[in-house]
Amino acid sequence: MSKIAIVTDSNSGITQQQAKELGISVLPMPFMIDGETYYEEITLSQDEFYEKLKNNADISTSQPAPESVLAIWDELLKEYDEIVHIPMSSGLSGSCQTAVMLAQDYDGRVHVVNNQRISVTQRRSVTDALELAKAGKSGREIKEILEADKFNSSIYIMIDTLYYLKKGGRITPAAAALGTLLKLKPVLQIQGEKLDAFAKARTVNQAKTIMINAVKNDIEKRFGGISPDNQIYLAIAHTCNEDAANILKAELHEQLPDYPILYVDALSLSVSCHIGPGALAIACCKKLI
Amino acid sequence: MSLNVIDAGMLSKMFLAGAKNLDNKKEWINELNVFPVPDGDTGTNMSMTVMSAAKEVAALENPDMVSLAKAMSSGSLRGARGNSGVILSQLFRGFTKVIREYDELNVPILAAACDKAVETAYKAVMKPKEGTILTVAKGAAKRANDLAAAGEKDLEIFIKEIIKEAEAVLAKTPDMLPVLKQAGVVDSGGQGLVEVLKGGFDIFLGKELDLSIDASPKAPVKKEGLAPNIEAQANAEIKFCYCTQFLIMLNKPFNIKHEMDFKEYLSSIGDSIVVVADDDIVKVHVHTNDPGLAMQKALLYGELTTIIIENMRLERDEKVSDMMEKQMQSTQMPVKTAENTPVQEHKETGFIAVSIGEGMNEIFRSLGVDYIIEGGQTMNPSTEDMLNAIEQINADNIFIFPNNKNIILAANQAKQLTKDKNIIVIPTKTVPQGITAIINYVPDVSIDENEAVMTQEASNVATGQVTYAVRETVIDDKEIHQGDFMGIGDKGILSVGTDLQTVAFQMVAEMMKDDYELISIYYGDSVDEEQANSLVEKIRAEFNGCDVELQFGGQPIYSYIVSAE
Repeated sequence: MSKIAIVTDSNSGITQQQAKELGISVLPMPFMIDGETYYEEITLSQDEFYEKLKNNADISTSQPAPESVLAIWDELLKEYDEIVHIPMSSGLSGSCQTAVMLAQDYDGRVHVVNNQRISVTQRRSVTDALELAKAGKSGREIKEILEADKFNSSIYIMIDTLYYLKKGGRITPAAAALGTLLKLKPVLQIQGEKLDAFAKARTVNQAKTIMINAVKNDIEKRFGGISPDNQIYLAIAHTCNEDAANILKAELHEQLPDYPILYVDALSLSVSCHIGPGALAIACCKKLI
Repeated sequence: MSLNVIDAGMLSKMFLAGAKNLDNKKEWINELNVFPVPDGDTGTNMSMTVMSAAKEVAALENPDMVSLAKAMSSGSLRGARGNSGVILSQLFRGFTKVIREYDELNVPILAAACDKAVETAYKAVMKPKEGTILTVAKGAAKRANDLAAAGEKDLEIFIKEIIKEAEAVLAKTPDMLPVLKQAGVVDSGGQGLVEVLKGGFDIFLGKELDLSIDASPKAPVKKEGLAPNIEAQANAEIKFCYCTQFLIMLNKPFNIKHEMDFKEYLSSIGDSIVVVADDDIVKVHVHTNDPGLAMQKALLYGELTTIIIENMRLERDEKVSDMMEKQMQSTQMPVKTAENTPVQEHKETGFIAVSIGEGMNEIFRSLGVDYIIEGGQTMNPSTEDMLNAIEQINADNIFIFPNNKNIILAANQAKQLTKDKNIIVIPTKTVPQGITAIINYVPDVSIDENEAVMTQEASNVATGQVTYAVRETVIDDKEIHQGDFMGIGDKGILSVGTDLQTVAFQMVAEMMKDDYELISIYYGDSVDEEQANSLVEKIRAEFNGCDVELQFGGQPIYSYIVSAE
């Protein structure tokens, strides 16, 4: 049985500390803030980030530099036979594309998983990969299993303000239609590739109802129905909005008591910088095995 | 001489007389409104409902019972507007179901028809309320059946007794509905029904009455105030397209300053202006490209009547003009002023909202509403208006947002009459409820789920509206004087006073006794932005945990419409 290392990036929400405990590696995402480069969690904390965001700093994200990716891989391959690399969704960043290209030089020892995950769903993929490796699957098999499962997850995000989406130019045409005369709380969805408009609400409570109903609808129609036998993972994420996220957790649990809520995570900063603070998200995915 | 049967000819005359009598009394019935709001309209609504049927009846030559029944039923169903109008149309519908089976009507048949009428009307209302037109109709029907059972054959006695009973029940409506008692009025819908019966009875007794009903729109009035060389002008390019004429039935003073203001406004949107003010009527004539603006402005002063709008460009071409006339005869008023681009491309789901005011209409459009029916509390659209809107939208499923509790029944009736499209009426009682309902629509979710969520979210919205009182009254133990401002909430009067801003603020304070996240304020066309902003600031300071949003609604008569959710 080959020895498999798991690599992901800080979009998974997995901290360096947690990574150490899990026995995996997390690449920090770089941020350009007012001309200077910061690394998520290494030289830039969540608090510092939101401080700068609120002060209207010029923030842009980029993908991990190829050399830092290569450095981690090379280091790991001294000890491991294969690497399963799980970057953030290829629909949201070029990281995956770059990693696929870089992996071509590694004679099949590095398997880049293109399964369109981000944040809590990406985190779940990392956990799945660890379990699969423990179960004796090869790097190729793990990649194939995760990719076959890529559409079995969705994330709904309520955004507190359209300001950051507009500023970042990340508004897809559908999302732009949400920008009406009234102040709205848009609900976006990430399903597979893109961040897209899903619905809109007037108040936070309405948005929460929409998200919970959407998750129920997904479980019902796409993930095999709501029943105790059908295993579904739920998770909550937020941007700088932890108290509200914990309240949402309780509300979600009340509505879907049969399913575990795995995490209440801060959304990774590369998502946060496009949607701003005050967001709430619910994710669900079908249990892999 | 006692008469034991009536034929179709007689019934037709009785119906026309009843309709006319109601039409003559409509202004008076409007004033029986519990709330002394400027746009009390039960009389107008019932009159327009019955006149729509009267026009069909008047157009019949030598009516037989079947064609008469059909005209009464379909004419009133399509023309129905407002709750009382819809209920009245259902009474006719039930009544005609029985009579169409006979050539002549006697006491037992009429009694059975009355019973059917009441049964049909009760079914049309989800939660029938006693102390209304329904109760009056029920009382009358019961008396009819008692008389029939007792063997009464003389129709004169029969009808007289029925009317007597209807009036007796009507007199008791204040005992059944406390709001009526406090306001010191009887139920307006019930009064309307009594007027129809009385009108019919007058003819039966042989009174000479003018039964002519305008089956077509009034012939264009000679255009006053135009330069004599109108013919020459006609050949020139027409700058303003619509010749617009109407009467304003004043409900507040219209002095020389108002007249000047109004004329100035009209000259900003058109030319050939004539404004002639009488004691309680103002005659208005203007050529404009947007008749809606002229009428909205006019609504500030009172109710509009005898509205005639002609397209002067088309008029030049005689052929086109002829076509127009025929069209006008088949489709009756009212006039749509919103720019409703017919949706040609087929789509799965469409949206119709009832709304008034430039700002409100714009908000609804920005939320994806395909067709706006101009109206609201001030003007309840008819079932026919709804049907026209439904026809305009090329979609399989159409959501309707009536946005007024007095319009929901007409929307439901339109749903019943529509066979080729799936109509979903979201029973929104106020404009803010409608806005919230539409916002909560989710494209990826089934129609049923959307209906449930939209209805639920709409019901969580509290609404308050500020307008002025047109007469003195007492409601909910609050004394109201003519000219006072009133803040009206979902369940009654929340605040009263002479200062608009204070009344608006107190109303919001009352609404905020429950816990809410967001207050939205839509200011009307009589309020300027600065004034509205000062209200917003005061509310923000008082309820600082709550978001406060200000929007221009542009609605007439209601200075502020406020929602909390």
